[in-house]
Amino acid sequence: MPVAAPHEPTPGRPFFAPIENPLERFEQECKANLMELSLTSNPDESAQQLAAILSTLPDGEMFVQDHPSLRSLVQAASVSREIRWSTQGRPREVAQATVTLAEALVAQTGSIFVSAACGGRGASVVAPCHIVFATTDQLVPDLKTALDNATRNGILANNSFACMISGSSRTADIEKILVQGAHGPIRLAVILERS
Amino acid sequence: MSAPATRVPPAEGASAHDHPQSANPETQFRHDAAVKSADLVHREIIRKNMESYDVGHMKGRSRFLDWEAAREACQAIKREAINHLDKYLLQFEENVTARGGHVFWAANSEEARKYIADLAVKHAVKTVVKSKSMVTEEIELSAALEKVGCTVWETDLGEYIVQLRHEPPYHIVTPAMHLNRTQIAELFRDKLGEPDLPEDPQKLVAAARRKLRKAFFAAEMGISGANFLVADVGAVAISTNEGNGRLTTSLPRIHVAVTGIEKVIPRLENLATLWPVLATSGTGQPVTTYGTLVGGARRAGEVDGPEEFHVVLVDNGRSSLLGHPEEREVLHCIRCGACLNICPVYRHIGGHTYGTTYPGPIGAVLTPHLRGRQFEHLSYATSLCGACTTVCPVKIDLHHHLLHNRRDFMKAGHGKTGERLQFRLWRAAMLNPKLYAMGGWLTRKGLRAIYGLGLSGSPFDPLRAWNRKRSTLPVARQSFREQWRKGLGNGR
Repeated sequence: MPVAAPHEPTPGRPFFAPIENPLERFEQECKANLMELSLTSNPDESAQQLAAILSTLPDGEMFVQDHPSLRSLVQAASVSREIRWSTQGRPREVAQATVTLAEALVAQTGSIFVSAACGGRGASVVAPCHIVFATTDQLVPDLKTALDNATRNGILANNSFACMISGSSRTADIEKILVQGAHGPIRLAVILERS
Repeated sequence: MSAPATRVPPAEGASAHDHPQSANPETQFRHDAAVKSADLVHREIIRKNMESYDVGHMKGRSRFLDWEAAREACQAIKREAINHLDKYLLQFEENVTARGGHVFWAANSEEARKYIADLAVKHAVKTVVKSKSMVTEEIELSAALEKVGCTVWETDLGEYIVQLRHEPPYHIVTPAMHLNRTQIAELFRDKLGEPDLPEDPQKLVAAARRKLRKAFFAAEMGISGANFLVADVGAVAISTNEGNGRLTTSLPRIHVAVTGIEKVIPRLENLATLWPVLATSGTGQPVTTYGTLVGGARRAGEVDGPEEFHVVLVDNGRSSLLGHPEEREVLHCIRCGACLNICPVYRHIGGHTYGTTYPGPIGAVLTPHLRGRQFEHLSYATSLCGACTTVCPVKIDLHHHLLHNRRDFMKAGHGKTGERLQFRLWRAAMLNPKLYAMGGWLTRKGLRAIYGLGLSGSPFDPLRAWNRKRSTLPVARQSFREQWRKGLGNGR
């Protein structure tokens, strides 16, 4: 009988149900997390979605991760507001929205996994609205896969920061009543383009 | 920006959490427990909060295919970590320092406070923002930073509320659980300069956000705790919902993470188990909103982040607990608060009554080890119902550890003389049926006489502790032996 190395925890029974359809589960979990999810089929639709989200926000600066895919998305969305690119420095307090990419999306918990490479640390927390642009091939079924991949790809060897984000900022410190937008974004919107 | 209210500084040689009214923690505990359990407003607030937690927690558990298997997996991870603590802590340190971070090993509170206060002085820090950390409460960090001229802002909403009230946290997860919206609205109107604030949680949260935003952008130092220290990647893992932990570790020039040595875990993938179980046990959520991982200061090419990253690893009695083969599993605790929430004692006497940083069953087990024998009375502040053990996500045998603490306490000769004498008499009676029967007869006769004279609950009543606040405990007409002889054993 093979004996596990003494420092290895004994492998146990599975405790999460297997995820049959990651996309469907991701949609469900986003809803439960009070996130906004728009599933798009091509870059034009994604740009339209971005424009639609931005049209609901007050006037003001927008912070965008400086990446070719986001440059073309912003251009296609014909954004008229002032843009501060991540290469110009960290997001300012006046920013109304931030737009970033993600390292991965997790179906099990409806999470967005970001690292410092996704526009920095403040990009996902300073502005009242965080918009994430991702593609369906970034979707992984569960936390274990996401974290295994992060270890394998050296996400924390290459970045000083990473974060598993599962919804907008919130608190229930007053009488256990849920209030969104405690210190970070009140809205977390995901534009998910089919690969 | 006006300075936030600070907590009352501790008296010389006392902890900030020792109540000033009595030098003896046990006397104070007995007094506060009696007062709190009779406070109906407090009981109503706690009942409402705990019922809301119970619903969320059970709903959260139903998301698991096998909750018991998840608990076993968490237990295995923590056991592995604690049994090889030296190896994983060194691996963590090596990974952090290889990337330019600093790791300071603090043997006690004083060393930890001094390191951080010196750092604040060296960098001319005026404003400090803190995200929630029970270890910084344990080492009484805020008062030390204020002494060197810093203004310290608690940024977790619950912590901010109790800071404004000059109080320690009431609960390790929800620090302001003992207050309702009316009390919080009154506090904010008074302290935040917003006299028209309504009793609306949304508006109250927004008011705190406005105030604390300014502190975040002004602060030179951010102090966080850590839920886990991930050895294989050398990162600190911080779970928060509000995002204050994110801002604390992103905006200030210096980030200091302060935590206990027992928080280390072997591998990043362990979080796939620990994150959901911690959140489910803490609040009933599937995961906390932000599972933040910080491995160092801002790197070349990164947009933002602090210039310096320090991790302060606090021992403060933990390694002596590690040397205790029976009790070391207490170090498995992930501070989810589930044992507090389910405890019938906590639900009646509340968090502040314990007079300790960590209240509830885990506090009752841990505090005598961390702070000494004067907290041994907490091992008796239990009904021994074992509910805490059934909910602990890392399967710590909490109620048996309370018994172990009692046993060790008595063995070390610390019991009260009267109590020892009573147990000796009890032992003698149990070994001698005639003596036992006579004792029972005398007790029944005596009690009936006392009750008959209307002295129930008076200082003459041996059952005064029970009878003075409850309806009189009835006395059986016949002893159990008599009833048995008359056929009780035959079902008659």
